[in-house]
Amino acid sequence: MKGSPQRKERTSRHSERRGPALQNPFQEFQSYSFSTKNIPLDRIVQSTEAVMDQIRLGYEKLLEEEAKELVWMVQYNTIIKAYEVAERYVREIDYSAEDIEDFCFALENTQKIPYLIPGPAGLYISALCNYAKEEEIVLKLSELKTEINLLGFRLTKGKRLLIEGDGGDFTGIGLEGGDLVVEGNAKNWTGAGMRSGKILVKKNIGLHTGEWMMGGEIHVGGRVRGLGNIVEGKVFEREKMVFPGKVRPPNMYY
Amino acid sequence: MKEEHSKALMDSVWPRVKRKHLFPEIPVPKVAEPAESTEIEAAPKEGVGLEMKGKQMTIHPAFLTQLKGKMSDEDAMEALLDHGVTHYTFCPWDFYTYLMLYAESKRVMTDKDLAKQVANHFIDVVSDTHCVKKKKTEIPQLYRHLTKGVIEETMVSLYQEIWGMDLGCSPSGKRKKTREAVIRRLTRIPYLDRTRWPESMQRFARSIKPLLLEQQEEEKGGTGKGDNNPLGDHDLNHYSHEEIDQGLRDYARKSMVLPEFREVVEDLADELKEAGYSMEGGMGRGRGSPLDADILFYMKLAESYSLPVRKTIVEKKGSLHPHSHSPWEVGSPYHDVDVWTSFGKVMPGITQIWKKREGKGRGKVEGVPDCLIAVDSSGSMINPRKTLSYAVLGAACAADAYLRNDSRVAVYNFSDAPMGGKEVLDYTKKREMIYRSLCKYFGGGTALDLEDLIPLVQNRKNLDLFVITDMKITNLETLIGYFAQINNRITAVHIGENPYSSRFEKAAENKKNISLFAVKRKEDIPNIVLGKIKEYFRETF
Repeated sequence: MKGSPQRKERTSRHSERRGPALQNPFQEFQSYSFSTKNIPLDRIVQSTEAVMDQIRLGYEKLLEEEAKELVWMVQYNTIIKAYEVAERYVREIDYSAEDIEDFCFALENTQKIPYLIPGPAGLYISALCNYAKEEEIVLKLSELKTEINLLGFRLTKGKRLLIEGDGGDFTGIGLEGGDLVVEGNAKNWTGAGMRSGKILVKKNIGLHTGEWMMGGEIHVGGRVRGLGNIVEGKVFEREKMVFPGKVRPPNMYY
Repeated sequence: MKEEHSKALMDSVWPRVKRKHLFPEIPVPKVAEPAESTEIEAAPKEGVGLEMKGKQMTIHPAFLTQLKGKMSDEDAMEALLDHGVTHYTFCPWDFYTYLMLYAESKRVMTDKDLAKQVANHFIDVVSDTHCVKKKKTEIPQLYRHLTKGVIEETMVSLYQEIWGMDLGCSPSGKRKKTREAVIRRLTRIPYLDRTRWPESMQRFARSIKPLLLEQQEEEKGGTGKGDNNPLGDHDLNHYSHEEIDQGLRDYARKSMVLPEFREVVEDLADELKEAGYSMEGGMGRGRGSPLDADILFYMKLAESYSLPVRKTIVEKKGSLHPHSHSPWEVGSPYHDVDVWTSFGKVMPGITQIWKKREGKGRGKVEGVPDCLIAVDSSGSMINPRKTLSYAVLGAACAADAYLRNDSRVAVYNFSDAPMGGKEVLDYTKKREMIYRSLCKYFGGGTALDLEDLIPLVQNRKNLDLFVITDMKITNLETLIGYFAQINNRITAVHIGENPYSSRFEKAAENKKNISLFAVKRKEDIPNIVLGKIKEYFRETF
């Protein structure tokens, strides 16, 4: 009696007893279309990451070539050679001043960079600053736990490097006409061998300041712990010129 | 705006918002009563549009009135709700994330209020950006029409850059150059990458710091306090007690650094007290005693590493049976709730739980005995209030394990006990008192006084002893002699390897009730130490 009226009636009565037909609880999701938009942030982050990878790679290659044993001695020859290697890699990268700052923090925080050796790191950052498109570069390094040496190496004429935080040893050595400002302190051998330009250290400065300095000016807002053997140029301590001035033995503590 | 209109609007908007966000478990948002919003209407500037307490969002109709003519009420309400819901579904998501972001912000800002402000801005940027990317939302329109201060303008300029929309904002005025530099830095942060939030938070704080410092200076100069965030500030009001508890536990476990934990808890101490949070848990019992961040650290860490205790034969330990009723508090177990006397409701003040009592069992049954914890706090041990002490953490884990099994714990904290360098706490279940005793540090010589120990052990056949020390105890032989006489389960944990521990090990060789556990590298990563303590627990009991 398939499809007979009695059977149909029985079925409808049966379904009435069971209540309304069961509904899929996820029914509403079926009509919900979900699309993710592409926003400029995606592109910015992606390109920033790509640049950072290139910068990181350059630094790793520099370490491979110049600090194979993870030991790097600061000598005239080693500095020149390491800087030349750094220049070679940096020239090929298209980056901005903000990338340099990010790299400084990546040195300390990211697991991707295996080690921070302050000498080569400083030279690499100096190369990045010297080859940057921007004339003025601000590096906010006050939160860095490690002091980076050799910042501002060979800073060229027309460039201004502002370091928010402290500089390590050999800050601004071999300066070539650039303008270097350190908001905090700088350690020993600051401005050594500089030829021209101006270094302003707003707080204190260490020993051997301006060693073999050939020209330019060093201004110190706080105290100069000791002067080096200066050939030519000027050193000011709290606006008072201390070189050339009264004969003062190198590195005299005062 | 009429209240009825706002409510009708909510009825039509909320289902749409809820569906858009895939049905989050959030109660229906409320529309504030006119009395609540009169203050806002009276204020010359835009007030707060959205408030969030617990999971309850409240919309202020006065805020919508102020946006009249600029955008429709419906769109404004939808944007506010999108913003609020995304805080629950994406950022900060839970209290641990909020704590972590605050701690990262504080690292850079150093000032508590500024750190909170920066963390709030970061949370807003992340959640709004997530919403704009993943959902159809009117949030950009809302930002276009909000009244903006310097920081808000910077944030809107940032949104313009990262969302690719014109929100009618461009940096101008004397700070134009600084703001442009700030925006340039802010646009580079991967806001939507959750795994990088700690690093991103620091970058965000570092970038925005100069603007906030300038604003702070101006406020000091009498320009007036910064405006309230119209989209609501993010604070502890968002979280329930359980969420706060869980957040603190996670933060202690993941950071494992006592000074960091202390700093964060002390910064938030007022809010925590205001919320009625106390170390023993529970709510609605007044402001409670002041929070001791150090004790809380060990307490939460020990809870994170809850260790199993193997049961032993205990006399007269029958099964528990329901005996009387007591009021239920948030945080109490649900399985003890008496549904009949609670009228089927789970609500403090109404719900009741069964208080269970031990029945008189026949013969011997398995149970967890009480425990006496002897902890060495002599000069050779680490001060637990300065840095993470694995000895105290081990003792805290042991205490937590026994307390969870409804056993009592006594503490004998000793340094040069015969000279008074000791603290004795009798058997109790009061967690805070136990942890307070464990965290006490004397820093003197190391000697036990058996006269203190014997009364705590005497006549207690079912008692476990837990000794944690570096074994450099001047009267070690006396202790070895005493342990040889008793038959209780004794667990000795020695920190580091030295001749004294070897002597103890040799003496305990033939005693089956004594288990010796060595933590050889005390400076090791805490996880390794905790793992070993777990092993020790499994092997011993």
